[in-house]
Amino acid sequence: MISDGMAEVLRLLERDDGFDAAAEVAARAAEILGVDGLTVSLATGGDQVELMWCTDEAAGQFEDLQFTLGEGPGPDAVRSGAMVLVPDLAQVRPGRWPALTMESADLDARAVFCFPMGIGAIRVGVLTLVRRSPRPLTDGQTGDAQVLAHALTGRALGSAVPGRNGSAVPADTPGTLLQAVVHQATGMVSVQLDVPLPQALLRLRAHAYSSGRPLLDISRDVVARRLRLDLNGNGDGNPLPVSDKD
Amino acid sequence: MAREQQVTKVFVEVADSLIDDFDLIDFLQRLSERCVELLDVAACGVLLADEHDVLQVLAASDEDTRLLELFALQHDQGPCVDCYRSGEPRTNINLDNPGAEQAWPQFTPAARRSGFASTNSIPMRLRGKVIGALGLFQYSDHHLSDADTALAQALADLATIAILQQRTLAHSETERSQLQYALTSRIVLEQVKGILAERWQVTTDEAFAAFRAYARAHHHQISRLARAIADGEFDTDQIPRTAPHR
Repeated sequence: MISDGMAEVLRLLERDDGFDAAAEVAARAAEILGVDGLTVSLATGGDQVELMWCTDEAAGQFEDLQFTLGEGPGPDAVRSGAMVLVPDLAQVRPGRWPALTMESADLDARAVFCFPMGIGAIRVGVLTLVRRSPRPLTDGQTGDAQVLAHALTGRALGSAVPGRNGSAVPADTPGTLLQAVVHQATGMVSVQLDVPLPQALLRLRAHAYSSGRPLLDISRDVVARRLRLDLNGNGDGNPLPVSDKD
Repeated sequence: MAREQQVTKVFVEVADSLIDDFDLIDFLQRLSERCVELLDVAACGVLLADEHDVLQVLAASDEDTRLLELFALQHDQGPCVDCYRSGEPRTNINLDNPGAEQAWPQFTPAARRSGFASTNSIPMRLRGKVIGALGLFQYSDHHLSDADTALAQALADLATIAILQQRTLAHSETERSQLQYALTSRIVLEQVKGILAERWQVTTDEAFAAFRAYARAHHHQISRLARAIADGEFDTDQIPRTAPHR
């Protein structure tokens, strides 16, 4: 399902711990995906984003414009958690992004494809691909971009998301993040520690890492109330009795 | 209700999905409940492949966490995976048969421990493309007749149509976006189960029961309500909690 080229990009991504080679990886990814520019923006609370990868000026300008105006395929993808693919910006229904349509006329972007990064209600950011000429992505390119967005999500959340089919991304155990109990535990920890969902998942992962136990086990213990994380993300070792409040 | 009437009802619900503002997760959950009634099986789950070709649970006739995990166990082994890969139904699989344990060494004992004696998988396909599978469990080794299998296939096809036709995602018209959106909605629901369980100090199953009862009584769409809760845009004190069972 994933192309050899994208598998190589994921290996580069994995090897690059400090994002030292980010520019190189991003450029290679753009090449594999058959686009002229590529940006990765991280959500920094609310509708704010911060540019993390930017292969060229045109793509960066388009990204800036979208988030300055608060409208466009990128903001839509972040809000909805769904991909927004626009093979030809000139063909967009009038009124869909009125300000963006007006402002972007001078920019060198004719096709834009946005892939949300996140897990459920956790929104990490968005991967945006830009083309100078209108043309849809192929199915293979769309699949590759989805897998890349997934891998970047894992990185942004401090750990890898399980991959398959040639993905070199290490995993907790295959399928860990497919388990309902991990998402349930994320929700519980977010209430216990009064932190947003992304931080809750980070705390769970941090605890799994420091205790040397799989994320799935940690999550099961949290949901069964055998484990409660303290503010530092450590388990206090004492199962919390279920209170009879109300 | 006669079977014919029940089937008609399902078709009417699907027709609604095509014209109405419609909630996919809610619909699939109802559809899986209908499968249980119509096919005289103990449990039904709807599994959809993600971008890594890994099956994820989208809805189940009974949202019990244990059952969800049993479906999730089929992420890379189990009759549903075989059915998804081959596009062919796998019916009347006796879980006590040594061949079943050989074929699926993790899934088969887990299913038996949950009290199931046999299982069936029906492909979800449209225009030659397979997007997932319907999993059916039975407590006895009662065979599905040819007519049952044909009806199960019709129901699986309806689920496929509903997934690929959903209109809630006005800005994304591709099949892939719709599949991804469906999976994202499902994960949000699990995160919200955790949030509510912790706020109310009940189990995740109890939290879901109260959540769903409220959503149905007030004609809220399950996915939309879950997202509003995850985003902190809905005051969950409005939802009456069912008394914890103890």
